[in-house]
Amino acid sequence: MSSRFASAVSVAVASFALSCSVVFPAMAQSDVVRIGIVSPNTGAAARYGAFAWRGAQLARDEINAAGGINGKKIVLFQGDSQCIPTEGVSSVQRMIAQDKVRVVIGDVCSSVTIAMQPVVENAGVLLVNAASSNPDITYKAGVGGFKWSFRNYPTDENRASVVLKYATEQKKIKKFAVLSVDSDYGRGAIVLTKKYLGEFGAEIVSEDYYKDKEADFRPVLANIRRSGAGAIIMYGLADTTPIIARQMVEAGLAGKVILIGSAEFNNPEAIKIAPTALNGAVEAAAYVPEWDTPKNHEFVATYRKAYAGETPNVHAYAYWETMRLVAAAAKEAKSDNQDDIRKTLSTMSYEGVMGKVTFDDHNQANLPMILFEIIDGKPVIKGTFNTQIKYSTR
Amino acid sequence: MTELLIEQIINGIVAGSVYALVAAGMTMIFGVLRAINFAHGEYYMLGTFSAWYVITKLNISYPVAIFLAVIITMGIAVVIGRLVMQRLVTAPFQSGVLATLGLSLILQNLIIITFGGTYKIFPGGWLEPVFFGEISLAWQRIIIVLVTIGVFIALEFLVRRTRMGKAMRAVSQNTACCLVNGIDIERVVLGTFVLGGGLAALSGVLTGPINVTVYGGMGEAITLKTFAVIVMGGMGNVRGTLIAGWILGIAESFVAGFIGLQYRDAVGFVILIGMLMVRPTGFFSVQSRF
Repeated sequence: MSSRFASAVSVAVASFALSCSVVFPAMAQSDVVRIGIVSPNTGAAARYGAFAWRGAQLARDEINAAGGINGKKIVLFQGDSQCIPTEGVSSVQRMIAQDKVRVVIGDVCSSVTIAMQPVVENAGVLLVNAASSNPDITYKAGVGGFKWSFRNYPTDENRASVVLKYATEQKKIKKFAVLSVDSDYGRGAIVLTKKYLGEFGAEIVSEDYYKDKEADFRPVLANIRRSGAGAIIMYGLADTTPIIARQMVEAGLAGKVILIGSAEFNNPEAIKIAPTALNGAVEAAAYVPEWDTPKNHEFVATYRKAYAGETPNVHAYAYWETMRLVAAAAKEAKSDNQDDIRKTLSTMSYEGVMGKVTFDDHNQANLPMILFEIIDGKPVIKGTFNTQIKYSTR
Repeated sequence: MTELLIEQIINGIVAGSVYALVAAGMTMIFGVLRAINFAHGEYYMLGTFSAWYVITKLNISYPVAIFLAVIITMGIAVVIGRLVMQRLVTAPFQSGVLATLGLSLILQNLIIITFGGTYKIFPGGWLEPVFFGEISLAWQRIIIVLVTIGVFIALEFLVRRTRMGKAMRAVSQNTACCLVNGIDIERVVLGTFVLGGGLAALSGVLTGPINVTVYGGMGEAITLKTFAVIVMGGMGNVRGTLIAGWILGIAESFVAGFIGLQYRDAVGFVILIGMLMVRPTGFFSVQSRF
C-alpha cells in the first residue's frame, strides 16, 4: 500500500514539474530575448570557446544592465560544438527546438559554421557568425543562397595574399613549408595561398595537415628542417601552437624557421614556453588586444575587470561585439523578432571597435584585418588591410 | 637521406614506447578478464592530469610528481576495480564493453567539469636537447625509451617468476582450475587492473612535457592506437606488446614524415585491419597467451 502511495506521489510530483517546465518558458518567452551561443567548449579548440563564452556573457551583462533589448533582458543558451560539424548541428537543433532560441551566434570553426548554415535556413533562425573565416560561408550567404546567415568577421580571401606578401617582401623568404589544421579553415587558407605563389615568386616545398588532436610533430619538423624552408605557413588552432612551438625548439628549428599565417601566435602562454620559436612570427588576425583606439582600451579594461585581469583574445572580442551588434539591430528595428533583426542588419550601419560595420549583399561585414609580427615576445602591429572582395572574380 | 631515416626511426621508437607502456596494461587486463578496457586511455589522461595538478597547484617538483601521479591514478583504479572491474569476471563479454565505455565517458567528463574543457600547458620535464650530429632529442624522450625498456624487463620478470605473475597467467588460461587451486581470481583481476592503470599513468606523465598540453579528451586517441598494438603483439602477450608498439610508432613516423601528417592516424587502423585478416593471433604467437 505504502509503495503504491509513494508511486502515486512521485507521479504527481513529476507531472507538476513537467507542467512547470512547459508553462514557465512559454510565459518567459515574451519578456526575454533568447540568444544561442555555439562555440567549441571541449576538444581541440576549447580555448577559443572559453574566450567566446566569456565575451558573450560580458556583452549580455552590459546590455542587460543598460536596460536590455527594448526593455527585455537577454538570456544566453550555451552549445558545445567541440569543433566537430555534427556536434555543432545537434547543439543548434537542440537550441532551436528546446530552448526556443531565434538568434544564434556561432561557431568559431569554419567547418561547423558551414554545416549549421542549412539548419538555421530551414528553421528560419538568424545565424550571425562571429569567428569563422572560410570564404565559402559568405559565398553561400545572402544573394548566394542562405538568407539567414550573416558574418561579422573578416573572410580569409585577402589574408593569404597579405601574409605571403609580407613574408616574401619584408622577411625575404621564398621557400615555404605548409603545416595547417586539416579542416575547411586550414585547407581553405592554403588553397588561397597557392593562388598567389607565382605573384610573389614563392614556392611550397612541403605540405602537411594536422588532425586537431595531433601532439607529435617531430616527424614533420624533421622534414621541414631539411627542406630549406624559411617559414612554415600555418593556419591552425591556438591550442596546438604551443605544442608545435616547443617541438620546434627541441628539433632545432626555432630561430631558423618562422611561423606565418594565423594560429594565435600572440598567445602569451605559448610565447612563454617557446619564445625563440615564436619570435618573428607573422599573423593576420581580426583583432588584437593591443589595437590602439579609445573604444578598444575601454573594452579591454572592462573585460579585464570582469575576468580577474585576463586579457581578451580575438574570440572574446568577436562574440562580445557580435552580441552588441545584434542588440543594436534589434533596437533599431524596435523588435526582437528574428526576421525584423535580419532585415535591419542588412541595411544598418554599426559603429564597432574595429570601425564602421555594414553588410554587403552576401551578408558579409566589411571589416579590416590587422597584420602583426611577434618581436621580443610582444605583437607589434605592422598595418591593417581591407578584406572586402569582388564576388564576381570567382 | 640515411640520417633522415635514422631520425624518423628514433621518432617512431619514442612514440612507440608511449603506446607500448599504455598497451602493456591493456593486454594484461585482457588476459585475465577477456575484456577490452575501452577506458584504458583515461588512466593515461588521469596520470597526466594528476601530475599537472600537483605541479601547478601544489608546487611539487616534476620528479616527485611522476610518483604521485602514478600513485593517485592507481588509487582511482583501486576504487574503479572494486566497484566495476571485479564484477566483470563472471559477466558476459558485452557487459565489459558497456561498462568500460561508460567509465571512459564518466572519467573524461568529470575532468572537464572539474577543470574545464580548455587545454592546459604541462609544466616541467627535462627538455634540453641532446645532439647526435644533426639530430637533436630532448632528454625527456631518451628517458621515455629507457623507462619503457626497464618497465618491460620488470613485467617479464613479474609474469614469469613471481607468484602474482604466475597467478595472472593461470587466470588467463583457465579460471575453473584457478578456483580449484585456491587462486583468488578477483584479487588477481584487481591487481592486474591497478598495475595496468599505473603503467598508463606513468606513460602519460612522462609524455606530458613533450606533448605540452593536457586536456580531458586526451586519452581517447591513445586508446584507439593501443588496439592496433595489442592485436599485433598478440592479445595478452606482454613481450610482443613492446615490439608491436615500436613497429606502430615507426610506421606512423614514416607515414607522417614521407607521405603526410594527415595520414598518420590511419596507420594504426590499416595495421589493425590487416592483422585481423592475415594473422589475428599477432606476430609472436600462434595462440594468444602471456
